[in-house]
Amino acid sequence: MRGISKMFPGVIANDRIDFSVERGTIHALVGENGAGKSTLMRILYGLYRPDEGEIFIEGKKAAIRNPQDAIRLGIGMVHQEFQLVPSLTVAENIVLGNEPLKSIWVDRKAEKESIIKLSKRFGLHVEQDLPIREVPVGVQQRVEILKLLYRKAQLLILDEPTAVLTPQEVDGLFDVLKRLVTEGHTIIFITHKLGEVMDICDKATVLRHGKLIGTVNVADSSSTELARMMVGEEVLRPSEERHPASKEAKLILDDISARGDRGLFALKHISFKVNAGEVVGIAGVEGNGQSELVEVLSGLREYEGMITLASVDLKTESIRFRRENGMAIIPESRKTQGLNLLGKVSENLIVNKYYQKPYSAKTGVLSWKRITEFAKELIVKYDIRADGPDAVAGTLSGGNAQKIILARELSSKPVALIAAHPTRGLDIAATQFVHHEILHMRAENVAVLIISADLDELITLSDRILVLFEGRIVGEVDARTVTHAQLGLLMAGLTDAVS
Amino acid sequence: MGAIMMTLSGKNAMEAYRVLFGSALGSKTAIANTLLASTPLIFAGLGAAIAFRAGVFNVGVEGSIYIGAFTSAWVGFTFVNLPGYFLVPLALLAAAITGGLWCYFPGVLKARLDVDEIVSTIMLNYVAVLFTSYLVNYPFRLPGLANAMSAEVAPQARLARLSPPSQMNISFLIAVAAAIILAFVVKHMRLGFELRTVGDNPLFARWSGMPVPKVIESVMFISGLFGGLAGAGQALGVNYRFIAGFSPGYAFTGIAIALLARNSPIGTLIAALLFGILRSGSSTMEIFTDVPRDLITVLEATVIFFAALEFSFGWLKRRRRGSAH
Repeated sequence: MRGISKMFPGVIANDRIDFSVERGTIHALVGENGAGKSTLMRILYGLYRPDEGEIFIEGKKAAIRNPQDAIRLGIGMVHQEFQLVPSLTVAENIVLGNEPLKSIWVDRKAEKESIIKLSKRFGLHVEQDLPIREVPVGVQQRVEILKLLYRKAQLLILDEPTAVLTPQEVDGLFDVLKRLVTEGHTIIFITHKLGEVMDICDKATVLRHGKLIGTVNVADSSSTELARMMVGEEVLRPSEERHPASKEAKLILDDISARGDRGLFALKHISFKVNAGEVVGIAGVEGNGQSELVEVLSGLREYEGMITLASVDLKTESIRFRRENGMAIIPESRKTQGLNLLGKVSENLIVNKYYQKPYSAKTGVLSWKRITEFAKELIVKYDIRADGPDAVAGTLSGGNAQKIILARELSSKPVALIAAHPTRGLDIAATQFVHHEILHMRAENVAVLIISADLDELITLSDRILVLFEGRIVGEVDARTVTHAQLGLLMAGLTDAVS
Repeated sequence: MGAIMMTLSGKNAMEAYRVLFGSALGSKTAIANTLLASTPLIFAGLGAAIAFRAGVFNVGVEGSIYIGAFTSAWVGFTFVNLPGYFLVPLALLAAAITGGLWCYFPGVLKARLDVDEIVSTIMLNYVAVLFTSYLVNYPFRLPGLANAMSAEVAPQARLARLSPPSQMNISFLIAVAAAIILAFVVKHMRLGFELRTVGDNPLFARWSGMPVPKVIESVMFISGLFGGLAGAGQALGVNYRFIAGFSPGYAFTGIAIALLARNSPIGTLIAALLFGILRSGSSTMEIFTDVPRDLITVLEATVIFFAALEFSFGWLKRRRRGSAH
């Protein structure tokens, strides 16, 4: 790809980017969110047309106007959101649109045989006859890859393929990728996880703010160098000396069970404590009870058992009571639970205090003057980049939107902080900011519970990590000594493996 | 749009509009009559607007209009010995409360049991229309009268007329005041902030600890309260009695007005005045030109159609965003 540029209204997503990949290599494309990785790959796959620039394949200029063109040229892409039909079987999904025919009928036998051949060759084992909705995410991903191979793709583009996988599944995926490469396929691996780049990639190209920063041989580079290229500045790791947590339990869950939306128990007999000045992490593959746990704690879901916050039983107390008594919550969905995107920044900042003095008089009249002053203060203190307190929250970037939530929740002097996926979708700078604030809460003697799918985040922030599997706590580990592999096994429910 | 339709049917559009606006605004009495026609529409529009702003699709204001009209008339012909300065506020208050309660109940059902408010309020509309009709046909039937109507209210219960010979009365001023007060409530009061937040994103409102069920119930009460006042304005200010089936669907025009005004109280006031002009001018237009009055109804419907189109697109978008999670 030579001199590729693509403009969107208001942003230059790709600015004269040169990018080339050698046959038979795994080539990482790294950069923060919004760096232009996905845009560049969508151009290659024919989903976008570039404003400028040309694409060459095997030295020949190629016109890629749509994904059909790309597929004809041997280019395939696995998107973050899988493009599979849930009710069709694995086999049907693989051949969909390219079924082998015997006169006018689909030749199921030929279909089966060719899939078996493909999966044997690349070590991609799948149960052909199960409907897609019944197979785990890792298998769905294999189906996506098989789909591309079935269409004879030589160049495979994988967009953040490990985001949804357990550590074991990631290992499996990497084995497959290595095998594909030895068979002469080429892989472009979009990611922002540097560890993965170091593990399996041959080369890495770094983009930042739509510009090409450079391409390096992974063997000659280091994750520190890559990180510096990505953010443009030295990465600050939170390294402050920790004072030990106190022994005073602020948040106690005693034998909590709760039903999920489908009426089955999503949480089963969970008990744990979070002390003042302690960060407890909850690890687990998504869908093992994390959302329900957050809802139970915040008061949105009924539960059996007892939860106490600073020695107060919360069973019959309202959401507002919990918040007034020191529970701060960073919900997992910023856009639907954490913010009113149609409301002003100031309204979003005041939403847990608006009814109190001095923001509201006894008569029920709000003092917008006081509210605006308060909002301005927080905007400065938390460095929220917005056009003032009257800006509409929905116009802010993800990082600044998350800062609104942090500002609101942390400025109310919490006793306990529940943070669900607090850095999901944020770039490195914003992530650092969130981590810093969470550790600051720890230093202020707040009991912090952090739920995250990012193991690095959990290890960096937590004192202890609990692992949730199918609604139960299957293990507790010390964050200072635990390895990814240990956590991965626990997350897969293999409790015996760790002792 | 209206001009196109008139021209298509071979009429002189300019002439028709001249007569329409002339007869709606051409003289002091004409203006008074336009304001008279606007009054119930302002109330009904406000009732719809406040509910929609909170994301509650209350279709039950029509029921409150009937309930409020009957209650105010009943107070007016029952407590005939009370002086006017006491009787009129009492009748209006009674109408506001009963009208409010009429929508409050489906509000409770929605807030506590998640009963769909559209269905329950439509059903309650029938109940209100038929129940009030039963009341004046049986318990409060006037001997010797063929029509289903109540007794006349006491003379001192009548709302003062502002510009005789027009029937325009102080309920118009109350309606204007109501719009201004509601605008203040929505922008500057706790409840207003709460109802806007619930309307924008109910899930967020819950997460942040707002008493969402209470907000919905309050909003439904206020919504019905405006319906009650609309009914009282007609009963005490125009008809001086309750007449079965007296409303030509004020609340439904009110829904259109609220949509057109994007649920803004002041916008609702303006839109209701516009609809008032169309209503009061259309009959004269029919007499002096050969443009039928129905064409004005078509014009109104077109306005509603476009407003609704926009509204449902916005709603769909929001819905999609909500379920994307």
